[in-house]
Amino acid sequence: MAPQPVVTGLSPKEGPPGTRVIIRGEFLGCRAQDLIGLKICGSDCLLSAEWKSPNKIIARTGPAKGKGDIIVTTISGGVGTSTVQFRAYHETIGPLKESAVWIEESPSQNFAWGRRTLTQSGLTQEDPLGLSIEGNEQKIPEDLRDLFPDACGDLSQENFSPAWFLLENHLATSFEDLKAGLSYLKRKVESQKEGQLSFLKSNAGSVIDQLDTLMNIRDKFQEDVKLYGKEPFQVLEQSIENSISESQKIFNDVLVRKEKADSTRSVLFALSRHKFLFCLPNSVDRRAKAGEYDIVVNDYSRAKNLFGKTELAIFRQVLEEVDQRILLIRRQLHEKVVKMPQSVEQQKKLIKALTSLEMQQSGTAIGDRLRNTDPAWDAIEARAKYLESTFRQTFDQYATKDAATQEKAKSRDPNQPPNRVNFCEELCDIAASQLPDLWRLGQLYFTGELRGPHDPKPGDFKRMVLTAIEKFCIYLRLTILIAADQRALRQSSGLSWPIGSSSATHHFLPWIPQCLRYTRIAYATLIGLDLPSDALDIIQKLIDEVRLFCFSIIFKRATDRCKKLGAQETWETTVEDYPGATQLPAALEALLVETLEEVQTVCMQPEVREGNLLEPHSDGQREVTQRLQELLSTFSGVIAELAYPSHDDETPTHNVSQLLGFPNAQQPESVSGGGGGSGGGAALNWEQRMLCCLANYAYCNKSFFAHIGDIFVRHGYPLPTLAIETARYNANQLFTNLLEEYVEHKGDPLVGTIEPSMYLGRFQWDHEMEIGLGQLRPYAHECLDNLVGVYSEIYSISPALLRPILESIVQTISEELARLMSCVQHFSYTGAIQAHVDIRLLRDGLENYANETAKNYFMEALEAISPPLNGEQKRKADEILERVKRNMRLQLLCFAVKEP
Amino acid sequence: MSKKPTAGPALHKVIMVGSGGVGKSALTLQFMYDEFVEDYEPTKADSYRKKVVLDGEEVQIDILDTAGQEDYAAIRDNYFRSGEGFLCVFSITDDESFQATQEFREQILRVKNDESIPFLLVGNKCDLNDKRKVPLNECQVRAQQWSVPYVETSAKTRENVDKVFFDLMREIRSRKTEDSKATSGRAKDRCKKRRLKCTLL
Repeated sequence: MAPQPVVTGLSPKEGPPGTRVIIRGEFLGCRAQDLIGLKICGSDCLLSAEWKSPNKIIARTGPAKGKGDIIVTTISGGVGTSTVQFRAYHETIGPLKESAVWIEESPSQNFAWGRRTLTQSGLTQEDPLGLSIEGNEQKIPEDLRDLFPDACGDLSQENFSPAWFLLENHLATSFEDLKAGLSYLKRKVESQKEGQLSFLKSNAGSVIDQLDTLMNIRDKFQEDVKLYGKEPFQVLEQSIENSISESQKIFNDVLVRKEKADSTRSVLFALSRHKFLFCLPNSVDRRAKAGEYDIVVNDYSRAKNLFGKTELAIFRQVLEEVDQRILLIRRQLHEKVVKMPQSVEQQKKLIKALTSLEMQQSGTAIGDRLRNTDPAWDAIEARAKYLESTFRQTFDQYATKDAATQEKAKSRDPNQPPNRVNFCEELCDIAASQLPDLWRLGQLYFTGELRGPHDPKPGDFKRMVLTAIEKFCIYLRLTILIAADQRALRQSSGLSWPIGSSSATHHFLPWIPQCLRYTRIAYATLIGLDLPSDALDIIQKLIDEVRLFCFSIIFKRATDRCKKLGAQETWETTVEDYPGATQLPAALEALLVETLEEVQTVCMQPEVREGNLLEPHSDGQREVTQRLQELLSTFSGVIAELAYPSHDDETPTHNVSQLLGFPNAQQPESVSGGGGGSGGGAALNWEQRMLCCLANYAYCNKSFFAHIGDIFVRHGYPLPTLAIETARYNANQLFTNLLEEYVEHKGDPLVGTIEPSMYLGRFQWDHEMEIGLGQLRPYAHECLDNLVGVYSEIYSISPALLRPILESIVQTISEELARLMSCVQHFSYTGAIQAHVDIRLLRDGLENYANETAKNYFMEALEAISPPLNGEQKRKADEILERVKRNMRLQLLCFAVKEP
Repeated sequence: MSKKPTAGPALHKVIMVGSGGVGKSALTLQFMYDEFVEDYEPTKADSYRKKVVLDGEEVQIDILDTAGQEDYAAIRDNYFRSGEGFLCVFSITDDESFQATQEFREQILRVKNDESIPFLLVGNKCDLNDKRKVPLNECQVRAQQWSVPYVETSAKTRENVDKVFFDLMREIRSRKTEDSKATSGRAKDRCKKRRLKCTLL
């Protein structure tokens, strides 16, 4: 218990009711609530008291009068004492005095009783001295009671003290005035003394009235006594008490009602004032449903700020409910965040909302109940997962579709892109749209915009991106690279595109450049993202592979087209470099240039961040070489095909001996079409075509393939030496084969006719024959003529082929001759001469085309004549030979030209 | 109601006089409650009373803090009448307040009719020495002239605050013992005596 309060100071120490007083002292209460009582001069002033400190209270005085103590009562100290006193006085306020209170100047009327106003004694009492007391400052330094302990200033009291009265009321009145007042008072007293009778007289009426009234009162009183007994006051008291209790009852009722109304009103007021909070649970739900999470976040933080530290149960309850709802919303939000598909912006918004909600709830009990470790990271994972599943789904969708269509109908519209292409397009679209989203989300996460208070996991994210890209590549690889070995891929990924018919595959191939384009578009998008280079490398590798694949496909197509070049052969031998070669190589060149250009635009030209396919010793190089080799060998094959007669060709006119079939008619074949120079187009027979092909081979071997190498170099490729050399070797081989074929074809009938023609008409060498002027035996003549025919045929196509062909034919002729001569057992005299002439003519005539072997055979044939010629025979033979040579000048002349 | 202490510690009635704003209330509150009031609120008439130990003897000091403003000059007489000792305060930063002390001195002498009434001339606000307007020697000359002590105080730093009140109380006490030696009559008679003596003087 604290010491009792003591008031030791007052400021001011006197004043009228309502004066603001600063009360000082000790132990005036330890806090505002501690102060429970304050009396100044006996009037309760607690209502106006303002507790400032244990040493200071400010209050307003009440309607007391006189000097009195200031009693402070506190809970801790009880009822206090006072060392100082306050003097309260009433100010008389008149028309001349300033006052803060409105004074009703007209006599106040009491309407309630309807009586004439009674003069209010005391307060409005007229001054007995007839002086105005207005303007007298009622500042009396000491309590009058101290001066006059037994006196009183009230005129109506017995212990009235004039001194008191004068001090109280006329402190400032001058002595003269007081004297005047005294005489006034004396006059008044005098007048009252002598005027008692006259007063009665003048007021007789009213005196009688008063008497009557008194009588009436007495009568009534007596009646009352009769009615109620001798103690009428008891009845009165009772009824008064009754009315008091009744009125109290009524009043209580009203009070209670008022209290209730007040409390209801205050509750309503509180409700409307904190409407925001009370509506919050529902509004939060509504906003969340409408997706306005920003508003939820703001509202929630506002509520937290406003009511987070409240101790009111109702607020806490509501806030708890809000917390619950927010928790739910956070769950929903989290679901939404990981729900795909949605835009990054949306996701970002959700994550931000979620993070801030979580931040606001973190640390609280309710926040601990749900802890989303990292919504942004979850979102990233969800996105990656979604990406993967989209890939998978798309793949499955198209794969099944493809399988279905393959079973259904083979006759599809070739212009309709196959499912693989559609899949490729869609996959690239997905990658190009979703990977950037994923990456962007990741960036946002790592720059900290979306990250909560958690540490980032860069390694995981990078791995995620890499995995996604790898998947992307795997799918594309499965789809596009159908030629490659996919077994390993299938095993690792567990995926496979349904194996289609070869026609479907064939149908797909031309679309690969399209797929490449899609892939490249996606790649370009990804390059723009500033992805790590190892991620891009994965795609680059795929693209390079696809490019290479494209390249080989285009070349394969070129090879296919090359196969059909044969149909275009016009047999126009207009090649300047090499007489006899046709337009076929030119066509190949055109095809090749076209192909190269296509390749260049489609795949060879490296785009941004793509490798050069043509690095030395690379797969690309090898592929180029291989494809070119393939193309060229195909081309060689085409020529070969053209060269050999097919079934459709007209039956070849075999050069059988005219001497046998048509014994007496020498067919002038040697000049037919010969020397014309240009072939007759389609009219060419197959032998001529064969020659053309030979010429083509030779041309290819000699210059055309080298030229192709130049074309490659011109298109930026390294010189494909290996391919060209192989092709040349190949062509040479084919040339040799074809040549043999031709030689066989031409030479066999020619040589084969020699023997029958020799022994035609039962001719025998041992018989003597007519030599006469001498001429060749028909067989030699025919042989020579046939040779001239061949010569002219070759010459008309390609003079360059003369030597290789004729040489071998001449060799067989010489061999045959040698064989025939050695078979003859005995020559007659003339027979020997004739044989000698024949052989020598052939030998001399064909000297230019005879190789060593042929010369030896000729020699052998000459030596085979037995018995050998004597001198006369020789002379005769020379003579004849001269003549024959002269006769056959023209025939011999064509063989005499060394380089036609 | 009346609380005139008949038996109990001696009561010494001190009155603070001086122009408005020199720090009478501040000195009083500092003495009474050890607090320094910064904000200025003109006083009308404040009353304080508390027990103190004066030279080992428990006494009561009653301080009447009066209004310095001229508006209340008329009612001062009443107050002065009850005072047993006076602290006449002026501000050393305000020459006018110093000049006004002359009037207060005269009024007090007129009302008390006693030249040797316990009286201290107090130069307040000595913490604001740099703003001093009233030279120290002038003050001392005036105090000498009146044959009263001169003390410089600071209500803000509490310098000499207790000293002035205790010095004054000592004077009042010695004065009372003097009086009771001289006359063993009642206070009223004492006044009459004194007044008589004064008239004689």
